Amino acid sequence: MAKKLYIFGIGGTGSRVIKSLAMLLASGCRLKNNFETIIPIIIDPDTGNGDLNRTKDILKLYQEIRNQVNQPDDFFRQEIKTVNELTNKSPVVNSDYFQFNLDNVNQSTFGQYIGFNSLDDNYKESQDDKNFTRLLYSEQNLNSNLNVGFKGNPNMGATVLNQFTDSKDFKKFGQTFVNGDAIFIISSIFGGTGAAGFPLLLKNLRGNTNIPNIAKIKVSQIGGITYLPYFALDKKDEINSDSFEDKAKIAIDYYNRTIIEQNKINSIYFIGNKGNTEYMKYAVGGKEQKNNAHFLEMAGALAIFDFCENINKSTNQTEVKEFGIENDSETIVFGDLNLNDQKEIAKPLTKYKLFSEYLNIGLPKALNTSRWTKSNIKFVKETENSFLDKQYFSSSEYKIQIKAFNKHFLEWLNEMEDNKPAFSPYYKINWGDALNLVKGEETQKRKKSFQPIDIENCKLITDINYKSTPKTIHTTLIKLFGKSTENVLKKHNLLKQEKDV
Amino acid sequence: MKDIFATIYEIWFQLWNSDFSLIFDTLFDDYGYIMFGVSFILIPLILWFLFYYVWNYPYGKFWHWLGWLIITSLFVAVITLVIANNEIFISNNQALINALDDPDSGYKQFAESLPLKYASINGILSIVVGFIYSLILKQFSKIQMHLPF
Repeated sequence: MAKKLYIFGIGGTGSRVIKSLAMLLASGCRLKNNFETIIPIIIDPDTGNGDLNRTKDILKLYQEIRNQVNQPDDFFRQEIKTVNELTNKSPVVNSDYFQFNLDNVNQSTFGQYIGFNSLDDNYKESQDDKNFTRLLYSEQNLNSNLNVGFKGNPNMGATVLNQFTDSKDFKKFGQTFVNGDAIFIISSIFGGTGAAGFPLLLKNLRGNTNIPNIAKIKVSQIGGITYLPYFALDKKDEINSDSFEDKAKIAIDYYNRTIIEQNKINSIYFIGNKGNTEYMKYAVGGKEQKNNAHFLEMAGALAIFDFCENINKSTNQTEVKEFGIENDSETIVFGDLNLNDQKEIAKPLTKYKLFSEYLNIGLPKALNTSRWTKSNIKFVKETENSFLDKQYFSSSEYKIQIKAFNKHFLEWLNEMEDNKPAFSPYYKINWGDALNLVKGEETQKRKKSFQPIDIENCKLITDINYKSTPKTIHTTLIKLFGKSTENVLKKHNLLKQEKDV
Repeated sequence: MKDIFATIYEIWFQLWNSDFSLIFDTLFDDYGYIMFGVSFILIPLILWFLFYYVWNYPYGKFWHWLGWLIITSLFVAVITLVIANNEIFISNNQALINALDDPDSGYKQFAESLPLKYASINGILSIVVGFIYSLILKQFSKIQMHLPF
């Protein structure tokens, strides 16, 4: 039976891990154990957050492309949907539905949100008073604007996020949940939104009777990944990255007592990095908070694959897992990952990298020249002509969807390469040595250019399974390159490590 | 087969000259016409087979096809020239040898003009045949199906 995986991404880290997941899924990675549909749910009061909006844009593009591929079997194979699409059975793609709305957080300060001004100053004559509240929240907390998040303050987050299970979106989530579905929660332990949101969300999933289908949700498989500090900030202000580690220790202790020891979660993954970390540009939130993609976020996405793969082995006891790599390196290549992770990502990522680089660098040489890009071949059967002609590559669908998504993909890889530790499995490539792209896997074959991809495309273009229709116009491109890059990888032995796995 | 090829060169292209029948009889009897025919049929077939099924270059343009057509034609012409020279000037027909040796017969002068004529005819025929081959072979070619158009 096809199952669904609901992924809650809390805060900026949640968004960024979901972005990495979308990239891996676009590359053809897939969840095991019949998880056919992924429903990303982003919980972040910081609606203007750059990371959040970039992730929403990527998810929207993913859906738009996938919706226009007939039975995708490689790139974009996994289905991504919003809760709204599930409840309304609507095919309309709207990226706003990837985010759960929090009521009353727009344009209000934390003090206004909790009604601080309506509290009494006189503690002797009143049941509630401002002074007690001041013990829990600083003036800065009370005056803090909620539309940029909780600025690393979980004490604020815990109060505001406690209401999101009452929202319409959350009720819709409950309505769509069926037996066999599973939940995965992504959060960071050192910030504000994630650190506060994770235990709250888990508590509600395990027992809030106001949620529809709570009986099913309560006993469902739930996994989570918690990020320990993995970056620092270049400035100390309202958010001080020096405090990340202390905050993480306190939170771990709390999680240990209230979640792990009480077996509230089936699997919990910890991931972090100490020492060799990047100093990111300081931003409390909003559109300025747009951090470069980080290897650890992709590793977090791998935890989701691991969770689904091992879901049937899960016991009633919480399983705690940590992510590690084989070689402690400042520049991580595929060979530094453990064999399972290599097997999971090396081939799909390399295929998609080839695909996206080809469209940028290789296509101009082939367009309207190579047989697979020609739709006006004379004296042959009509079926021999290609759908992928100049007109297709000039179409708005190609430019706005495929090109835009691939731009995000290459940006994502480049950002991981620029970060610390760097994930840099590929060389910079040009047309002439395009197949020499995987570090440590230099090909010995004579043809190292993009030419073998064009050759494969020519051979495969007439495959009946790759035919586009007006409603599925990306079928040919996506399926063709899924197969042609696969053939090139095999024939040119581009991933010897992968072969050995 | 001999009759068919002889008809092509002697009748269609009007090379027959009754004053020099020894040459044409020799070409007919010693399989010269067969070799001419095989040259313009088989050589283009092999070369166009290579073009459509062995040449794995995915960026082939019309001028590649045109170039190959010219190369094929020249190749066939050169081969025909060699065959014609051998068949006419190194034949086993003693009567023809004697005639070529006799300066008054005019045989030598006429014979010397023939190889180039046969080469030119075969060059032209290879172009026609090559074009037909192209239309047939492109149907099953994976890489060069779009050529010549």
